[in-house]
Amino acid sequence: MKATVRQIGKVSVVDLSGKITIGEGDVLLREKVSELLEGGQQNILLNLEKVGYMDSAGIGELVACYKRAKEKDGTVKLLNPSGKVFDLLQLTKLEEVFETYKDEKEALVSY
Amino acid sequence: MHNTSATATSVKLVLPSDVKLVDLVHAATEKMAEFAGFDPDESLNVGLALREAVINAIVHGNHQDPGLKVHVTLVAKKRELTARVRDEGNGFDPDSEPDPTAEENLLNTSGRGLLLMRAFVDDVKFRRCRDRGMEITLTKKLNQTQTHETSNSGS
Repeated sequence: MKATVRQIGKVSVVDLSGKITIGEGDVLLREKVSELLEGGQQNILLNLEKVGYMDSAGIGELVACYKRAKEKDGTVKLLNPSGKVFDLLQLTKLEEVFETYKDEKEALVSY
Repeated sequence: MHNTSATATSVKLVLPSDVKLVDLVHAATEKMAEFAGFDPDESLNVGLALREAVINAIVHGNHQDPGLKVHVTLVAKKRELTARVRDEGNGFDPDSEPDPTAEENLLNTSGRGLLLMRAFVDDVKFRRCRDRGMEITLTKKLNQTQTHETSNSGS
C-alpha cells in the first residue's frame, strides 16, 4: 500500500492506494495517521478510492485510527470507498461509524 | 499441486506462523478459484475468506509462535472450491466471539474475521483436531449461471 498526504487548509487528505491488510497496509496506515495526530493535525480524510480491498486487520486499523483521533479531539472521515471496500464497510456496519463522502469538496467543508 | 482426479486439482501448503505469508495463501486461493471457474470478483471473495482463516490460525491458533505451522489444503473442482486451514495451537472457541456488528462492538479493533469468512463463502465449519489445533473448512460453490468460462476450460 502507498499513502501520501495532501494538506488542504485544515484538513489532511491521505491518499491511499493498494490494499489495507495485515502486516503491511495496516502498519503504514497506523504510522501515517499517528504521524499526523502527533503533528497536531486533527482533521483527517482517508481517500479510499484506490484501495482494492481490506482484511479484518486493515478494518481494525481503520477503527483504531478513528479512536486515536477521537482521543485527540480529532476526527477521521472516509472519501470514496468503492467496490469491495464499500461492501466491507457495509458488512461490518462501520458505515454507521464513519462519516463517508463521495465528493472531496463536500468532505473538506464538512470539517 | 496435483490432480486428485480428472476434475479436481489440489494444493497443499505448510507455512510457518508468519503473517507475511498470508498474501501467498490469498494469491494461491484466487488462482485455484479461477481453476474452479470463478469470476474475478468471486475469486477475490474466496481469497478474502481464506485470508481470514489463515490470519486466525496464525494469530489466534498458533499465537504467532514461529515453531508452529499452518496447514492449508485447497481443492478446486468444477464450480466448487474447498479449503481446509489447520493450526497447531491449543484451539479456540469460535462460538465465544461477540457479534462485531452489534452496536456495542462496532469500535472493537478486532474480531471481524469470522464475519468475513461467513460472508464470502457458503459454508464454514470448525473442527477441533484430536491431538491439537483447530481446522476450519471453507466451501464455496457456484451455481450454473455464475460459472465463469476461462480460456482453457472445456478443452
